[in-house]
Amino acid sequence: MSGILLRRMIAAWRPRLVIVCAALALWGFLLPGVYATFGADFRQLVESGLFGDMFKVFDAFGANVFTLSGTLAFGLVHPIAIALVAVFAVGYPVAAVAGERQRGTLEVLLARPIARRTLWLTHLVVTVGSVAACVTAVEAGMVVGAVAFGVAAELPVDGLTLAWLNAVVLFAAIGSLGLAASVSSDRLGPALGVTLAITIAGYAVEILGTLWPDAAWLRPASLFFYFQPMEVLAGRANPGDPLVLGAVAVGAAAWAWWVFPRRDLAAPS
Amino acid sequence: MSAIVTSGLTKHYGGGPHLPGREREVVRALDDVSIEVRPGEVFGFLGPNGAGKTTLIRVLLGFLHPTAGSARVLDLDVARAGVEVRRRVGYLPGGIALYDALSGTELLDFLGSFYGRPPALRGRLVDGLELPARDLARPIRDYSRGMRQKLGIVQALQHDPELAILDEPSEGLDPLMQRAFYAIIDERRAAGRTVFFSSHVLSEVERLCDRVAIVRAGRLVAVEEIDALLAQRRRSVEMRLAGPAPALAGVPGVADLVVVGDRLRCAVDGDMGPFLAAIAGAPVADLTIEPARLEDAFLELYEEAGS
Repeated sequence: MSGILLRRMIAAWRPRLVIVCAALALWGFLLPGVYATFGADFRQLVESGLFGDMFKVFDAFGANVFTLSGTLAFGLVHPIAIALVAVFAVGYPVAAVAGERQRGTLEVLLARPIARRTLWLTHLVVTVGSVAACVTAVEAGMVVGAVAFGVAAELPVDGLTLAWLNAVVLFAAIGSLGLAASVSSDRLGPALGVTLAITIAGYAVEILGTLWPDAAWLRPASLFFYFQPMEVLAGRANPGDPLVLGAVAVGAAAWAWWVFPRRDLAAPS
Repeated sequence: MSAIVTSGLTKHYGGGPHLPGREREVVRALDDVSIEVRPGEVFGFLGPNGAGKTTLIRVLLGFLHPTAGSARVLDLDVARAGVEVRRRVGYLPGGIALYDALSGTELLDFLGSFYGRPPALRGRLVDGLELPARDLARPIRDYSRGMRQKLGIVQALQHDPELAILDEPSEGLDPLMQRAFYAIIDERRAAGRTVFFSSHVLSEVERLCDRVAIVRAGRLVAVEEIDALLAQRRRSVEMRLAGPAPALAGVPGVADLVVVGDRLRCAVDGDMGPFLAAIAGAPVADLTIEPARLEDAFLELYEEAGS
């Protein structure tokens, strides 16, 4: 890893990281507020039978969403949170090599005494560090929100730690896949397309498989299947989930490690 | 120790397995190129666009892997010691792209920080290329093409590299800055450093280089000393006579002899001695010998190689 490059990349992406982390912290802060304000009313409404089985669909997520744990878990897999973290899990790694390659700046950088693997490893460290900061921000927002809205006693503290780890490994796996696509491509478009396809299709498959039992068999093909925050926050974490995600991250990293030094970097067109 | 040695260097693109009916044609970007650049010389790599100049440079820097053959830079194998090669080389890419969000100074600091030694030549280079501190403090996105090129030259040379590899270095520079750039190359030569640069500007190569390699469609056409190349080339001679024309038919090197009235025109190849001996004592009122130009030599070699 290159310290010079690490400092430069952090400096270049710091404004975006601050904005994304602030947005995620705000999102996390609001969730306990929503639960404290509307949770009891929602629970009464659902239990009143007024809406029939309409809200039973949330049971499919494996826990009652009208608890603080359920609300926080729902917030962690909500598209808003996923999209914000994806700025660093998808956007950063894809732009890191394929984007620089397309702009022509990669040639200037790699003319320095720096190995391609060093460049890749530095970007991987920035990717993992950034998604860890993002997940930390959202969970910090949750904790502060729980205190502010007077529901701190219901916080699943141990569960939050495990959920943090599970979420970081999930987004690190996506980031590692994005970086593998990035080092394999000469242009931003294909690398971004592949990484977004894996992320969006995986998310869609997980939601579809959760809501539609006939499609449940597809779920293990999605990375999001291995991140079940409702289970984790309820104390029923599956230790195999982070291992599967870790294996995906390591597999993608191995691909990038092998391919990047061996491929030609022709003049940008 | 040679600065650069390539041996049978070959680089092909395309080919390989593809869908039936969609086979890609193999592009022979470099074909069996063997050159040697001596330490301390300014070496020009000449050819039109698409001839393979940039491909060779990219192989030397480890961006491309050769299909066959080998390349050594400063006695290091580029395939095995790429990082060490780049530590000792300064590189200016053709049509350089820079980090637009940085200022000129920030970019030079960032790129220079990888070498682990101070950018000893930066001050002289920015002075020579007229890049004042005020301009260097501005974001690169505000720079003109010429200023970007000047910044590119500074980043390539600021750490005083043993070997400078420059791809179309004067592209985008105005005539005054071209002259400043030539002075920088002369300084590099005087300091015993090696410069390898590609160009299609023949006058520039003629002005700067000790030796030149000419490449056509990926194949090496010639590697010659500039002076030797010019000495071999045909000069155009025109004279106005105050009396009878001298007997030039049959004089070694003289060709295309035409006498019309008091005007005599001919071409002289190679050594001028026999021609000058033949006109000694002739009633010459005026004499014009057009100097041999690299452009003519280049075109001649190119036509020969093409045929």
